[in-house]
Amino acid sequence: MAMKIGGRSFDKRAEQGVRDSYMRETVRTAQERLYTNKSQAEEELGDWEEWRSLSEKIRSHTVDNLDYYLERLSENVSKNGGHVYFAQTAAEANRYIQSIAERKEAKKVMKAKSMVTEEISMNEALEATGVEVIESDLGEYILQIDDHDPPSHIVAPALHKNKEQIKDTFSRRKGYQKTSKPEELTQFVRKKLRREFLEADIGITGCNFAVAESGSVALVTNEGNARLVTTIPKTHIAVMGMERVVPTWEELDILVSMLCRSAVGQKLTSYVTGLTGPKAQEDVDGPEEFHLVIVDNGRSNILGTPFQSALHCIRCAACINVCPVYRHIGGHAYGSIYPGPIGAVLSPLLEGYEDHQDLPYASSLCAACTDACPVKIPLHELLVEHRKVIAQEKKTTLGETFAMKGFGLVASSPRLFEMAAKTAPALLAPFTNKETIEKGPGPLKEWTAIRDFPGPKKERFRDWVKERNKGGAE
Amino acid sequence: MSSGNVQNQTTFLNHVADRLGRERRTTVNPPSYFSFPHQKMGKEADISELAKVLKKQCLAIHTDVREATINNLREVIDQVFVEYEAITAAVWDDPRFHQFGLDSIVERPQVSVWGEEPGREANIQAAEQADVGITFSDYTLAESGTVVIMNGAGKGLSVSLLPTNYIAIIPLSTLVPRMTQATAAIHEQAEKGRRLPACINFISGPSNSADIELDLVVGVHGPVRACYILVDDLKKEKKNEHETN
Amino acid sequence: MKVSLFITCLTDIFYPDVGKNVVELLERHGCEVDFPEKQTCCGQPAFNSGYHKDAKKAAKHMIETFEHAEKVVTPSGSCAAMFKEYPSLLKDEIRWRERAEQLAGKTYELTQFLYRVLHVTNTGATLQGVATYHTSCHMVRLLGETEAPYVLLSNVQGLELKELPNKQNCCGFGGTFAVKMSTISEQMVDEKVEHIEETEADVLIGADNGCLMNIGGRIQKEKKPIKVMHIAEVLNHREMGGGDV
Repeated sequence: MAMKIGGRSFDKRAEQGVRDSYMRETVRTAQERLYTNKSQAEEELGDWEEWRSLSEKIRSHTVDNLDYYLERLSENVSKNGGHVYFAQTAAEANRYIQSIAERKEAKKVMKAKSMVTEEISMNEALEATGVEVIESDLGEYILQIDDHDPPSHIVAPALHKNKEQIKDTFSRRKGYQKTSKPEELTQFVRKKLRREFLEADIGITGCNFAVAESGSVALVTNEGNARLVTTIPKTHIAVMGMERVVPTWEELDILVSMLCRSAVGQKLTSYVTGLTGPKAQEDVDGPEEFHLVIVDNGRSNILGTPFQSALHCIRCAACINVCPVYRHIGGHAYGSIYPGPIGAVLSPLLEGYEDHQDLPYASSLCAACTDACPVKIPLHELLVEHRKVIAQEKKTTLGETFAMKGFGLVASSPRLFEMAAKTAPALLAPFTNKETIEKGPGPLKEWTAIRDFPGPKKERFRDWVKERNKGGAE
Repeated sequence: MSSGNVQNQTTFLNHVADRLGRERRTTVNPPSYFSFPHQKMGKEADISELAKVLKKQCLAIHTDVREATINNLREVIDQVFVEYEAITAAVWDDPRFHQFGLDSIVERPQVSVWGEEPGREANIQAAEQADVGITFSDYTLAESGTVVIMNGAGKGLSVSLLPTNYIAIIPLSTLVPRMTQATAAIHEQAEKGRRLPACINFISGPSNSADIELDLVVGVHGPVRACYILVDDLKKEKKNEHETN
Repeated sequence: MKVSLFITCLTDIFYPDVGKNVVELLERHGCEVDFPEKQTCCGQPAFNSGYHKDAKKAAKHMIETFEHAEKVVTPSGSCAAMFKEYPSLLKDEIRWRERAEQLAGKTYELTQFLYRVLHVTNTGATLQGVATYHTSCHMVRLLGETEAPYVLLSNVQGLELKELPNKQNCCGFGGTFAVKMSTISEQMVDEKVEHIEETEADVLIGADNGCLMNIGGRIQKEKKPIKVMHIAEVLNHREMGGGDV
């Protein structure tokens, strides 16, 4: 699965989202619960803004010096006996991972949740060579057995499904016979996957953070599957987006604290695992071979541009959890595995405007995302920045360009502004019913389909002021 | 240990530097941070206050807590066994079991000590079939209710992971306010150029998931239940101090 | 204090009564209100749509128009926030940037000005009824003003204020968003109206005519019995016919 998901236009996908009442109910409940949890978690930390500023500083320092920290990281992984592969493209990353599987004669690969492997379509690449890839994160497993339904949220990938739908999928695909209680569904998966873990040849994970000073990979999880994936199979491959590096364990502390609180409102998730692989000679379990694949796949194009701060993202989904647009259309409508505000910023950067040009407009610029971001990415400003690029490259409609040119002219000339404001009432008069407009012409049609529009008043405020001042002078 | 391969490094990193609009950097001044909110947290708290914070947090993370002295630790562990209906156990090969008077537990035939069996598979198998896994805690983070364990050699990763239940023995002397103190210690090792344990776990309670409708389910792929046993290992030390004074 | 009023284009053309209340309210608290006639629009529609060249034209014009002002007050958090955006919009033109910074530094949203500059907490208003207050996104998140409207409204005699559930969520206005993404905007405004109804308030109060045009338009279209008032109208309201002279 590449980044792009689903065909059709954004409008059609959004409409479909709006009509999906199951999904909307689940998302609504989830957003409200996460909002409460996160607010609590913020409060417990004391000065949340101080933490945010510190986190922002850490991220911007690291990304500003990315070459340096990636070099230290790779040297340290190598010193520990691990292998590092720098992949410029998705294809390069996949070829390398395929070659390991081939050399190990791997039949079965166990995977923990990882967005970057989704992004590069790693599963498909491995499956094409005859390797079985099993997703072990509960949410990802649900999606995988449901004909590879794409994820709709970067932390809770199956958020768009309710438990009844999940129960049906389990019974249809895996002969499940119990109820739709989440406990029973989960126990079923635990039993089913235990065997698979013990038999897997290779374990593949993402990487929440890589620590440059020690060549370690940190995984932040709750289910324990990522621990199994990195404990039992003899080979561990970690795939990381190149920006996910931190200088030292001290910065790791800050960012992990922020990630857990922002993502799920926990102080720490059940498992934060620091892996400095491969295993030492005297260790009994853990991987004998460790590979770190560092993926660019379009990220370097963001460096040195006004969008650079998008690379500070730690994938907590806090922006998604507060987004009122996401709330109503769900993740699939974004047409990208990265949904919500961060998805609307990242997807056009990583894959180009062609497939994702509508996304920067799928925001009322309410700035809830910017406010929620633990590393202070100005998300709504970056959406405007995208609109700027799109307008400059004249990818907008001629009508809009023309209208905005006109706007600039009118707004900078009191005379023209006066004229426009005066003609508006006359132009709108035929549509005005008493004081309001119920069915407007032109662009007003979209407005009045949903809401009434106020009719322009006969006396504008400035006319009143003029009259009043005259009166005062008298 | 022989070094691993690093491929495509130069082209990749040159390109990154190029995009950043400069030459490659071979030295970087460590960032000057202007605030340290994490170091302030819990700084004033003494051990008993930290224990209080820890116990409260355990309620939030669905973790049972028991308290013991070195003298009755064995009985307390046995009580947890009864409660969890557990018979078999996997434990670390760790001198602390002896120091804390637990030889009689370790020597039971139903208890397998990590590394005792020959070979990787046999050890994993034993842990997988155990009802309980028992390890000591190396650092215990009060704020988040977290047990930090440094795995390696006789301290197998599987012991805290594969059994149905997990017991962490927490000497009070391991209590620190939060993650900050543990990562500082790890950072110190790294700075000295020491190789870190291949796996360091920060464990906060049993495994769980909220992937289905964001409803929390406790017990997924890792242990289904977790119990922390706080052992007062400080009293004795204090006595010694008095004696030497 | 001499105050220059930036009335905003929406208020000028569609809500002149709100403007009158703003003037009276300011005068009531001892301000001399100046209305620079050359004012047009803050440029936000062009800015938000990515037409920054066109937005700059509007910005420069407004900078010139308000250059003489001691304080600029506007009955819209969103338009005030746009003035504060000017320095970054004009960052490449040093001279203009400096002038923009001056304007940004002396610009206040109405309630913010009353509460923070004039230190008013009670405007002496009276309004009988149950109301709920819609917190506008730009006022809260871009201006960071979360207190002023609540303090002022809490002292309106006779007014019972009900908390609006999910008040942090946008009403779906977003300027061109409301027409460009009308399917989504409709869902957002519908949910907003739903929550307003849940409070059983007879009056919806807001501090931004953009949001009020959106929510009010939907309320009107759906023929809900809820009155929509700008906060200036509420804070300047006096009960009629009470005989209290």
